[in-house]
Amino acid sequence: MAGAGGGGCPAGSNDFQWCFSQVKGAVDEDVAEADIISTVEFNYSGDLLATGDKGGRVVIFQREQESKSRPHSRGEYNVYSTFQSHEPEFDYLKSLEIEEKINKIRWLPQQNAAHFLLSTNDKTIKLWKISERDKRAEGYNLKDEDGRLRDPFRITALRVPILKPMDLMVEASPRRIFANAHTYHINSISVNSDHETYLSADDLRINLWHLEITDRSFNIVDIKPANMEELTEVITAAEFHPHQCNVFVYSSSKGTIRLCDMRSSALCDRHSKFFEEPEDPSSRSFFSEIISSISDVKFSHSGRYMMTRDYLSVKVWDLNMESRPVETHQVHEYLRSKLCSLYENDCIFDKFECCWNGSDSAIMTGSYNNFFRMFDRNTRRDVTLEASRENSKPRASLKPRKVCTGGKRKKDEISVDSLDFNKKILHTAWHPMENIIAVAATNNLYIFQDKIN
Amino acid sequence: MVGGLKRKHSDLEEEEEEDGKWDWSPAGLRNCQQALLRISLDKVQQRSLGPRAPSLRRHVLIHNTLQQLQASIHLAPAPVLPPEPLFLGEEDFSLSATIGSILRELETSMDETEPPQNPVAPPGLQNEVLPQPDPVFLEALSSRYLGDSSLDDFFLDIDTSAVEKEPALGPPEPPHSLFCAPGSWEWNELDHIMEIILGS
Repeated sequence: MAGAGGGGCPAGSNDFQWCFSQVKGAVDEDVAEADIISTVEFNYSGDLLATGDKGGRVVIFQREQESKSRPHSRGEYNVYSTFQSHEPEFDYLKSLEIEEKINKIRWLPQQNAAHFLLSTNDKTIKLWKISERDKRAEGYNLKDEDGRLRDPFRITALRVPILKPMDLMVEASPRRIFANAHTYHINSISVNSDHETYLSADDLRINLWHLEITDRSFNIVDIKPANMEELTEVITAAEFHPHQCNVFVYSSSKGTIRLCDMRSSALCDRHSKFFEEPEDPSSRSFFSEIISSISDVKFSHSGRYMMTRDYLSVKVWDLNMESRPVETHQVHEYLRSKLCSLYENDCIFDKFECCWNGSDSAIMTGSYNNFFRMFDRNTRRDVTLEASRENSKPRASLKPRKVCTGGKRKKDEISVDSLDFNKKILHTAWHPMENIIAVAATNNLYIFQDKIN
Repeated sequence: MVGGLKRKHSDLEEEEEEDGKWDWSPAGLRNCQQALLRISLDKVQQRSLGPRAPSLRRHVLIHNTLQQLQASIHLAPAPVLPPEPLFLGEEDFSLSATIGSILRELETSMDETEPPQNPVAPPGLQNEVLPQPDPVFLEALSSRYLGDSSLDDFFLDIDTSAVEKEPALGPPEPPHSLFCAPGSWEWNELDHIMEIILGS
């Protein structure tokens, strides 16, 4: 990822120059709630990009092959398949609606021509197969071209049907439905490195599934107290280790992360490692616990580190050191003095996700006002960028943004009080190998690419 | 394309706007605590609006914050009577009991039918105790159900003979019948909830 940059950029600076590439979604100011994007995920090759929305739909974009005539033009992402993954349901026994919102999508590694992904709402996980059909058979003996059966006595000669090309059709079909295993709301799914099992986590329990078996799952973590009045902590995210198929982590609403080894016991209520940063007494407030609640946990591609996102910061942990993170990056520290208002309007409960780049040298997470933040771990530089239609000229460079925290506001800066807290970037994804990022801003999906690489 | 900040104006914003620093004087702290208590209780009561199951994480976080506030109010030096009756010292116990009952209610509403147990589930889970009747009664009183029928209609069916018994002398236990004896812990709790529902 060496940045052999143009003028002004020192060689090997690793500085990105992010440029607008595409934006998907309606331009209307009036956003239909069903269109709000709730998850974004690249597949293992980065050729496919899936989004899920509050209306239960999944849209998959495919990267176009780069044409030889324009070798420097980057492949664009275009719609490949759209399907309704989940429908709203009503639980009559409890008089509760079950939202169709897609909470997470996770791709399976590709094993044949078809693509597989897991999508989940609050209660049910589904395995979808997405396959292409670009040929059809013609010249059947027993039926006509329009499908009507031919009278066998009329057939005087036999012919071999031939395959003819047809317009590409992409079909999505549900292959497995994993239901009725979660009493509480599913917040995470994670495919194991063995490619045969996956975990699903809700507020209080984590279950282990085999991809082929839908009628039972193994409960591997259960933190539900005998007396619900004693409940003070919930599970917020969980993920399998990228290489060690017996290891997974889960984070909590109290800012802790537990690493579990499934070899040690069937029920992993006792963790192998416990990660928690001691609290800084000087910054203690009534909101300390809420802002320490971890909203996302992600292993690095190398498997040596993991990253956690809490309300104000992103932390990188070395799996060999439980006492404190090795890096802490402030996302929007200027919000610390506004916590009370953010508590009142519920923004303090927003769950931001975070992601690594392919080489684990950079991390990205979202913020408010359609801002998102990127941290380069090597150069220690960080940048704030904005996803907005105003900066959406093709290949236009994104200008770094700055929030003014007090005193005189400089030109091009925005003051904290002018931030739009309804424009939140909760979901972002980074291409597994290249510097292409997907940023979900409410109902729009922005794709940015690095100019240099 | 930057919109303004959408939020309700509250006493706390004025606190915040002054250099972003809190007023740490005892009076300022008490105002802050009371405002936070009020906001937190609003949130707890709001959650039963709407047909969707509430977010357990959000409720646990609010509950924990309320407990902290409660603890700090206990530690406050001068027992100044705050305007809202909800914050009186002797009702702190019913406050936590209210929150506790709401969590139990959540358990009832979300957990009534445990999913089918799998063959290798640990024994603990299979001996799951059914929710107590008391939370069911409390759940029925939640604002979700108060929409159409008036409370009087609701009470018509209830056998009040149990209510006229002598109050239990032992330590409060989870009740075995649907009804509460007056003067008991559950009765106070019920009374308290009725106050919130009818008074607000």
